[in-house]
Amino acid sequence: MTRDENKEGIRGMANPGRYGIERVAYWLMRLSGLGLLAYFVAHIYETSNILRGKVGWDELLEMTQTMEGHILLTIVIAMCVFHTVNGIRVMLGHGGVGVGRPARPDYPYKSASQNYRHKIGIYSAILLAAVAMMYGLAVMFGE
Amino acid sequence: MRESTIMKIHYGTALAAVALVAVHILMRLTQGFAESLEYESVIANYRFVPYAIMLELILVLLSIHGFNGLRVILLEIRQGRTYEKAVSYGCFAAMIGLIAYGSRTIIMTNMGMI
Repeated sequence: MTRDENKEGIRGMANPGRYGIERVAYWLMRLSGLGLLAYFVAHIYETSNILRGKVGWDELLEMTQTMEGHILLTIVIAMCVFHTVNGIRVMLGHGGVGVGRPARPDYPYKSASQNYRHKIGIYSAILLAAVAMMYGLAVMFGE
Repeated sequence: MRESTIMKIHYGTALAAVALVAVHILMRLTQGFAESLEYESVIANYRFVPYAIMLELILVLLSIHGFNGLRVILLEIRQGRTYEKAVSYGCFAAMIGLIAYGSRTIIMTNMGMI
């Protein structure tokens, strides 16, 4: 097999099935980051409507305080919580916390850093994001 | 700037932003959610100087963190001297633009220039 045939490109890198939950976390981290950046830019634009006075602000609220707006905000809450909790896990990992001791690479070449501690961290991030989403729904639709 | 320094800034801005955004969200929950978004309530928030300073800090921290994150993602996809320079300068310019636009809202509302 030549080097080119073996090269799967971005599809190979994107495949979340090959490397377990760590690769899923990698993608969720990037997607939630991009989603949050898009929301942040939109939020800055949205809040600038306050400069249009009470009428402009009320017009904006009419547009955003809807069922769709609340659902979007719920997704933002989930992205925010996942990105935060998983980000703290990544920071700790980069600092050497919870990645195991360095050892000679022997067959079956299990990566010490991909251990149960970090897996628990990823699952916790997903669980907390779901709980925060429920809380957000209760606050926004419970009124 | 060295990438290791940029990553330290990335993590520092993230931790600081988490604390400040938590305060920002809790402020929405001190009143009812819909009540806290009423015009008078939002204006009162902006006119309260410590809160306006906190909003400005959140704006700067999240802009730095967000656009550096975007830069990292774009550099993971493709590499090359010209491309890397274009992405870095593009993200920096977008960050400055967003900070300037957000600051305009905070300053004008805080000073009653509506």
